[in-house]
Amino acid sequence: MPLYSCNAAPGAISEDAKPKIAADITRIHCDVTGAPPAFVHAFFFEDAPHQPLDGKKAFMFGSIRAGRTDAQKAQIIEQITASIHTHAGIPMADIMMLTADTPAKWVFEGGAVMPEPGEEAEWLAQHHSEPAA
Amino acid sequence: MIPCTCLVQEGQISSATESALRSKLEGFAYESFGVGLDVNWIEVPKTGGFTASKPSTSSLVLLQAPTAIGQEKRADLLSKLCHNWMAETGQTLNEIVGVISDPATP
Repeated sequence: MPLYSCNAAPGAISEDAKPKIAADITRIHCDVTGAPPAFVHAFFFEDAPHQPLDGKKAFMFGSIRAGRTDAQKAQIIEQITASIHTHAGIPMADIMMLTADTPAKWVFEGGAVMPEPGEEAEWLAQHHSEPAA
Repeated sequence: MIPCTCLVQEGQISSATESALRSKLEGFAYESFGVGLDVNWIEVPKTGGFTASKPSTSSLVLLQAPTAIGQEKRADLLSKLCHNWMAETGQTLNEIVGVISDPATP
C-alpha cells in the first residue's frame, strides 16, 4: 500500500508508457508523502469490469494510507494525472483520478501490520525490510 | 457472504494453486467470521504490474470483515491470512499484501 490501479480503454496507454507512468507514480507518491518506494504498487488494466471507465479514457484509483492531508492528495492527483497525459497522450479531460484512505492498521505488508504515515523508518528497521529503491 | 478481492500477477499462480487458495480462503472466512466468501479473482496483465517501479511479483488479498473487529484480532487474522497465502504459493511475505477492512459505516 499504496495501490494505484489504472484502468484504461484498450490501447490508450502503450506498453512503453506503463513503466514510465509507474516510475512517476512511485516518485510522486514518495516525494509527496515521504513513504518508501517499496510500498508503492502501480497496476495497469484495460477495460477492467471492476473499475468502470464511465466514459473516460483512463481511470486511476489510488488506495493510500489514511493520514495524508487534502493538499498532499491534491498534489498526488495533479501530478499523476499529468504523468498519464504526458506519457500516454490522453487529454487531461479524459483522465479521471480518485484516492481513498485506508487505515494503516488494516494492512499487512512485508510481514507486519503497516506503520502509520511518518513511522516508516522505525518500522523498516524493526522488520528488517529494505526499500527496493 | 463477505467480499474478497485477490489481485495477482498474470501467469504467477497456476489454476491448481488458485483452486487451493480459494478453498483456503473459504475455510479462513468460516473459521474467522462464520460466513462464506464472494471471491473476485483479478489478474494484473503481464507487463502491467509494478512495485517500487519494477515488474511486480506482489499479490494483494483484500477482505471485508462482516462486522467491525478489534485491532488485536485483525492483526492476528492478517498474519494468518498472509501466512496461508505464502504456504500455498511459495511467495515471500514481502510479496503479499493483506487487507482486512471493517464494513463501511452508513
